[in-house]
Amino acid sequence: MGRYIVRRLIAAIPVLIGLSILLFAYIRILPGDPCVAILGQHRTPEACAALRANLGLDLPLWEQYLTYLGKTLSGDLGSSVVNSQPFITEFLTRFPGTIELTLGALIFSIGVGIPLGRLAARKVGGWADGLITGVSLFGVSIPVFVLGLALVVIFGVFLGWLPTQGRIDARARFDATSGILLIDTLFAGRLDLFVDVVRHLILPSIALGSIPLAIIARITRASVIEVANEDYVRTARSKGLKEKMVDNRHVMRNAWLPVTTVVGLQVGGLLGGAVLTETVFVWNGVGRWVVDAIENHDYPIVQSTILVFALIFLVVNLIVDVGYALLNPKIRYQ
Amino acid sequence: MKNLRIGAILGALLMVAAACTSTPSAKEGGTLIVALPGDIVRTDTALTDDSNSSYVIQQVVEGLVGLEPGSTSKVVPVLAESYEMSADGLTYTFKLRSGVKFHDGTDFNADAVVFNYNRFINIPTELQDYTYYIGAVFGGYGETSNLESATAVDASTVAIKLKKPSSNFILTQTLPVFGIQSPTALVLGKGDNTESDVTKITGAQGGAGAMVGTGPFKFVKWTVGDSVEIEKNATYWDTAHLAHVDAIVFKAVAEEAQRVNGLAAGEIDLAQTIAPVDAATIAANKDLQLIDRGSSFNTFQISMNHNYAPVSNPKIREAIAYAIDYDYLIETFYAGAAVKATNWMPAGVLYAKDLNLPTYDVEKAKALIAESGETDLTIDFWYPNDVTRPYMPDPKGIFEAITANLEAVGFTIVPNNAPWRGGYLDDEYAGKYEMWLLGWTGDWAGPDNFLKTAFFGYVDGAPSTEFAYKNDALEAAMNAALAAGTEAEAKTQWELAQDLIRADMPTVPVANSKPQAAATINLKGFIGSAGLNEPLNLVWLDRP
Repeated sequence: MGRYIVRRLIAAIPVLIGLSILLFAYIRILPGDPCVAILGQHRTPEACAALRANLGLDLPLWEQYLTYLGKTLSGDLGSSVVNSQPFITEFLTRFPGTIELTLGALIFSIGVGIPLGRLAARKVGGWADGLITGVSLFGVSIPVFVLGLALVVIFGVFLGWLPTQGRIDARARFDATSGILLIDTLFAGRLDLFVDVVRHLILPSIALGSIPLAIIARITRASVIEVANEDYVRTARSKGLKEKMVDNRHVMRNAWLPVTTVVGLQVGGLLGGAVLTETVFVWNGVGRWVVDAIENHDYPIVQSTILVFALIFLVVNLIVDVGYALLNPKIRYQ
Repeated sequence: MKNLRIGAILGALLMVAAACTSTPSAKEGGTLIVALPGDIVRTDTALTDDSNSSYVIQQVVEGLVGLEPGSTSKVVPVLAESYEMSADGLTYTFKLRSGVKFHDGTDFNADAVVFNYNRFINIPTELQDYTYYIGAVFGGYGETSNLESATAVDASTVAIKLKKPSSNFILTQTLPVFGIQSPTALVLGKGDNTESDVTKITGAQGGAGAMVGTGPFKFVKWTVGDSVEIEKNATYWDTAHLAHVDAIVFKAVAEEAQRVNGLAAGEIDLAQTIAPVDAATIAANKDLQLIDRGSSFNTFQISMNHNYAPVSNPKIREAIAYAIDYDYLIETFYAGAAVKATNWMPAGVLYAKDLNLPTYDVEKAKALIAESGETDLTIDFWYPNDVTRPYMPDPKGIFEAITANLEAVGFTIVPNNAPWRGGYLDDEYAGKYEMWLLGWTGDWAGPDNFLKTAFFGYVDGAPSTEFAYKNDALEAAMNAALAAGTEAEAKTQWELAQDLIRADMPTVPVANSKPQAAATINLKGFIGSAGLNEPLNLVWLDRP
C-alpha cells in the first residue's frame, strides 16, 4: 500500500508540470492586461511599461515560465498584483472558509442523499421513488447561483430564519484563530457564536450540496437496486435473516463501493461549485477570491489557486483509491 | 409650609434618582455594518488610489484640510486651523491644531506633517505604481515633483513650497491619500520610504503601523477579501464630533443583490452603493431608506476618436448629440437618479457652467448630417460586456438605445463589445475604437480632473491616442488655468477651456448619474456626498 501511494504521488508530478504549462499559457493568451487591473483608467503608457517591467511581464514568455516554475518549486507562489498580498498568506486565510463550506455541503449531500437513495431503491416505482428522482433531477438542473439566491430570498429575507451572507455575524467582531470558525468559536467557549456559524452554514451548504446530493441519491439508488438483486442477498433472505440485517450487512456493504467513488469525485466538484456559492453568499473562501482574481487579471493568484486545487484534487482521488482497498478486501494493490 | 418642603425634597430626590437611572443617549453605541462594493487594497493611505480603501481610510486618517460633509468642493480646515497662500502663489503656510494626538499616542505637530510630505516627494520608484494621486497632483516625484519642500516654521506651523503655482493645490490636498499618518507608525510599518517592496511594508498590509491617524476611528484589523474593522477613538480631538457608534465593520459585498438582501435581513446597516435597478425595491420596503447624494460627481459620455471618419467631422459629432433621447435613457436606465449632462463635468465641479449642449431633436440631427457632407455614415460602436459602472448602470441596454437613436437619423452602426479589463480599456485607450461608451468619476472637484486628466489633456505634448483630439488652444488654456496664481485668473482660463471644448464637441456628454446609497431605517445622521467623503462619526443607530 505504501509503495502504491508513493508511485501515485510520483505519477502526479508530470501532471502538475503539464498543468502549470497549460495554466501559464492559457492565462497569458486571455485578452487584457494586468496594467489595466492595477492602474485602471489612470494608466499611462509609461506607467504601464514600468509596471510590466516590475512584474517581469516584459521578459520572453519562456523566461517568465521558468521564473514562475522556479519560484513555485521553492514554495514562492507569488503575490497578488492588485493588493500585493502573498498568495500563501491569502490562501491560508481563505481556505478554512472553503473547507468549512465544502464539509457542510458534503455532510448535507451524503446525510440526505444516501438515505433518499436507499428509500427510493426500497420503493422502486412507487411515489417516493418518483418524488426522489424528480428532486434529484431538479437538484442537478438548477444552477447553484439561482438556487442560492432563491434560498436567500425565501429563508433569509422573507422568513428571516437564517442569515443571508457571510460566515459569522459581523457584529460579533470575533477573532478567529484557525479560521475554521466551528472550531474557533467552540474553543473560545462561545456557544452562541458556534450556533451562529452553523446557521450561516446552512443555506450555502444546501446550495452547494444540491448537485452532489442528487448524484449521490441516484447512484445509491442504482447501486442498492443492483446489489439487492444478487443471489447472495436472496440467499440471506431465504435463510430467514431479518430485513434490517440483510439491508445493512449484505446490501449496503456491497453497495458502498460505487457510492464512495462518487463521493470522492464530488469533492472536486464541490471545490468548483464553491466559486459560485461563495460569491452568492459573500463567503470569504478561495472560490470568491478566485472570481475576483480572474476579473482583475491577477495572474499569480489565478495560476497558483488552480495549481493548488489540482493538487488537492489529486490527493483526494488518491484517498478515494486507498479507501477502495479498505472498504473492499477483494481489491489489493500491488 | 412643611408640606411644601417635603414636596421639594421629594422632587429633588426624584430628579436625582432619574439622573442616576438614566441610560446613555440612544444615539450612542452599537456596531455599524457597512457594505462596500469591494475589499480595500492597502491600509496605507499614501499607497492607495481606489475608492473602497479611501472610504475606509478617511474615517481614520485626516489631512490638513478636508471637504465639508456633503460637499465635493468646499474646503474646510481639519488638522490645520487655517492656511494662507503667499502672494506669488508658491508657498502655503498651514497653522496646525495643537493638542492633537495620533492613535498611537504620539503628538501631531509640524514635524509629523513635514515627515509625511517628505515621504510624498520621495516615494521610491517601485512604489509609484500604487501612488497615482501623488504623482498626478504633483506631476511626479523627486526632482520632477512640483512639491519643492515642506518645512516646520515652528512646532505648529508648516510651510509647503511649490515649484510653480498650482491653483488646484488646496483642493487636491483634501484627497484621502494626503492624510497625515504617525511618523512613528510609518517607521514601524516600513512606510518611511526605506522599503521599496510593498509586500514588506506592514503598514500597507494591515500589519504593524497600519492606518495610524488622528481621526474619529482607529484601525482594528483587516480580514483580507472580507472586511475591515475600525473602532471609536474615544480621545478624538474634535470632541463635538466624537463617533456615536462603537465600531464599524466594512464588508466587501460585490453582489449588488446581496447588498439589498443583507439590508432587508438586517445584516447590513448601510450599503454604500446600490444598483439603480434596486432602488424601487428599497423604496418599497418600509424598513429601508434610499439615500440620495444630492449632486453628481461623474460624467457619462459617448466617446469618439477623431482619427476615424465620420466622427472626425464636428457636424457629425453635433448631429449625434442631437440624435440622443436623453430623457428616455435617464428614466429607463438610471431610474431617474441622473441628470442630463450640461457640460463635460458635473455641475458641482468648480467653475462648471451650463454649456447649452444639444437636446433631443431628430430633425436638427438630420440637417446637420446633410450639412456635414459625409456620405458614409457607418460607425464602429463599442460597449463593455461584463461590467456596470456608477455612471453606466446597464452598458448593453444603453448601447442598444443609443444605437436605435442613431439609426433613426441615418447612421449605420456596427455593434461591437469587449470585456472591460479583457481588452476594452486597453483598446479604447490605444485608439482602436471609433466610438465607445465611457465615463469618469471625479477624484477631486477641480475642472482639471475631468477636462484634462480624464478627457482631453495632451499626453507627452501631443493629443492622446484615446481621443486623438487636437486643440492646442485648449491645452494652453488648461495649463494656464492650473498655473494661475489667483482664483479669478484660474476661473477665466477654465471658462475659456469649456467654451473651446463646446465649440468642437469632441465627444457627446450624456448624463451625470447620482449613485444612491441605501440603509436600514434605523440609520440616522448620514450625510451623503457625491464624492463619497462621508464621515461616519456623524452616524448613529436608532435601535431600541
